[in-house]
Amino acid sequence: MGSMKATIERATLLKSLGHVQSVVERRNTIPILSNVLIEAHADGSIKLMATDLDLQVVETIAAQVETPGTITVSAHLLFEIARKLKEGSQVLLSAADSKMLVQSGQSRFNLPTLPRDDFPVIAEGDLGTNFELPAQTLVQIIDRTKFAISTEETRYYLNGIFLHVADDDSAGPVLKAAATDGHRLARVTVPRPDGAEGMPDVIVPRKCVAELRKLLDESDGNVEVSLSASKIRFTLGHAILTSKLIDGTFPDYNRVIPTGNDKLLKIDPKAFMEGVDRVATIASEKTRAVKMAVDHGKVTLSVTSPENGTASEEVPGEYTSDSIEIGFNARYLLDILAQIEGDTVELHLADAAAPTLIREGDKNPALYVLMPMRV
Amino acid sequence: MAESDSPDPPTPAPQRKIIHVDMDAFFASVEQRDDPSLRGKPVAVGGSKARGVVAAASYEARKFGVRSAMPSVTALRKCPELIFVRGRFDAYREVSAQIRAIFADYADEVEPLSLDEAYLDVTSDKAGVGTATAIAEAIRARIKAETQLTASAGVSYCKFIAKMASDQNKPDGICVIPPHRGAAFVASLPIGRFHGVGPKTAARMNALGIFTGADLVAKDLVFLAQHFGSSAEWYWRISRGIDDRSVKSNRIRKSWGTERTFDSDLTTREELSEALDRIIAINWDGSSARGVRGRTIVLKVKYADFRTITRSHSLPHPVPDRATFAATAHGLLAALLPVEKGVRLLGVTLAGLVHDETADDPAASSEPRLPLLFDDEAEPNAASMAI
Repeated sequence: MGSMKATIERATLLKSLGHVQSVVERRNTIPILSNVLIEAHADGSIKLMATDLDLQVVETIAAQVETPGTITVSAHLLFEIARKLKEGSQVLLSAADSKMLVQSGQSRFNLPTLPRDDFPVIAEGDLGTNFELPAQTLVQIIDRTKFAISTEETRYYLNGIFLHVADDDSAGPVLKAAATDGHRLARVTVPRPDGAEGMPDVIVPRKCVAELRKLLDESDGNVEVSLSASKIRFTLGHAILTSKLIDGTFPDYNRVIPTGNDKLLKIDPKAFMEGVDRVATIASEKTRAVKMAVDHGKVTLSVTSPENGTASEEVPGEYTSDSIEIGFNARYLLDILAQIEGDTVELHLADAAAPTLIREGDKNPALYVLMPMRV
Repeated sequence: MAESDSPDPPTPAPQRKIIHVDMDAFFASVEQRDDPSLRGKPVAVGGSKARGVVAAASYEARKFGVRSAMPSVTALRKCPELIFVRGRFDAYREVSAQIRAIFADYADEVEPLSLDEAYLDVTSDKAGVGTATAIAEAIRARIKAETQLTASAGVSYCKFIAKMASDQNKPDGICVIPPHRGAAFVASLPIGRFHGVGPKTAARMNALGIFTGADLVAKDLVFLAQHFGSSAEWYWRISRGIDDRSVKSNRIRKSWGTERTFDSDLTTREELSEALDRIIAINWDGSSARGVRGRTIVLKVKYADFRTITRSHSLPHPVPDRATFAATAHGLLAALLPVEKGVRLLGVTLAGLVHDETADDPAASSEPRLPLLFDDEAEPNAASMAI
């Protein structure tokens, strides 16, 4: 059994364990999967690594390493301990004889360990496609699409963000990210980064998306993306996230993006969103249906609930077509409006039963499609 | 990895009887049924345009190698005679409501996987038919009689094997795998046919020398975990014919049904109409009080000789009021009049529900959906653990 000795700042350890431990599943049939691998190197760095066999994170932090070595201990335990240690303290980790001692100030913890040899590492294989994306672009891609990812397990191939490259007639080569749960669709289109040409279509699982998004909060500059048809790796500064991809075929989503919706409503997204949110207060928890009566110059939002009465609100909007009544799930509508940053949002409507296109404008990289509800 | 990490050895559970029913080339068969000129011809449901995809292919088309999810261009190259027809989802949903009504007669535990396939737990033999095999045959016969379409069935002791078995003697076939043959049956299957093994996983398994269930069972759990991550335990189990998953019914309410058996058989138009009115009233009061709204109305009639038929009609929108509900149900009944035999049972079901009071998951609810064509609707190959 290996020995190891290193001292780390509590704040550094805590932050890093925060990333690592959220990959670890709470319930594990295979004990080693509850553990974090701690690898202390002579060059004064420590690697922390965790996996759920589908997703793996490796983070490198600075430490004073006295004895290089490797050990694994319970990720959640070590995280909880680090969390409760005094602010500004130093933490000494020393492993020997199948135990790891954690010392900080007057506190001592002696934790059971498992040998590193049992720790599973995701075999990356050959990641043939490599490109870089600015962290901010990746943040946009994720934030604008992830709310639409399905949680329905039977359609497992919708449980992630679909990434593919395409040649757009107007925009040239692009990288597109799409997510849908069958009721709404979100898509972001960005210029194709160098190196992404010819990449396989991939579906990045939602857990990977969620972990990546957390890491991006503390990252700027570029993120290196490497992928094959079955694996994807994101390298951000000191963290490397590797995930298996969803083995399935994403449906041809282009067919549901309306191209001929000729009724255009332009409206202030903030006023619209607040109005929807207000009238939805009385909508029943399950249906959450809000009706929009769109007329020249205004939209009348209304909700009728058998239990809670009625609500309505008028919001000014730019509209010149024939008046139309259409209903939406308030939550879905709010999810989309929350993504709009400009001061105008466009709703391209056809009729009360047809998919509606929502976007900031045709120059904006994001677009959304929402299926109406019958009200 | 230590020995204790392996899943527990199989424990002898009370023996279950599971049937997997799967309609044959569903969308395409419905099209051939409704348009005689398509019968015997290679038919694909889907768009023929450059970007179109085959959603379903008739058996005639499959002979040419046309498969669902195949780009239409490729399909046309393989079969220049191929006839493309547009999908009519309302028609498919209507048949789906019919077959689900049939399933409900034989099992309380019914888990639909998509419009045209479902698992049934028939351990309790609700209808008193006798054996699981006889139940499967009865269901297939009724589907054929009531929808003029054929279905295949797999009968076994767990979902995985029942599902694999329903594919074994397609079309219009049945395959029964008793417990003692479970492991051998799985061993004989090519890995690509395993439910839950997608094309990419199959290719990876092939690269590791795994081509059949027998190859898979030869690999230990540590090896599987290295290569297939969290799916390892699942593969380990199914390769041994172990699948304890239960048939999960009522995950979402799919329909709202009311039926009544009469003390003495009804024969006249007036008696039947009056009885139907009472059933409609009970159904509508119950469903509307709970906010259940649906688009499809199913009428069920059981004759004195126990022959049961269902007729259904789907509206383009949820049934708006009691009058529409009643008029539609009476219309379905009128088409069956006059009855030659007495009627011992009448039932009305509201199906194709749009609002679901039990659905927490918006994606699982029956709110209107974007018109996406899913592979698993095209040719059902649903739930997978393969990521």
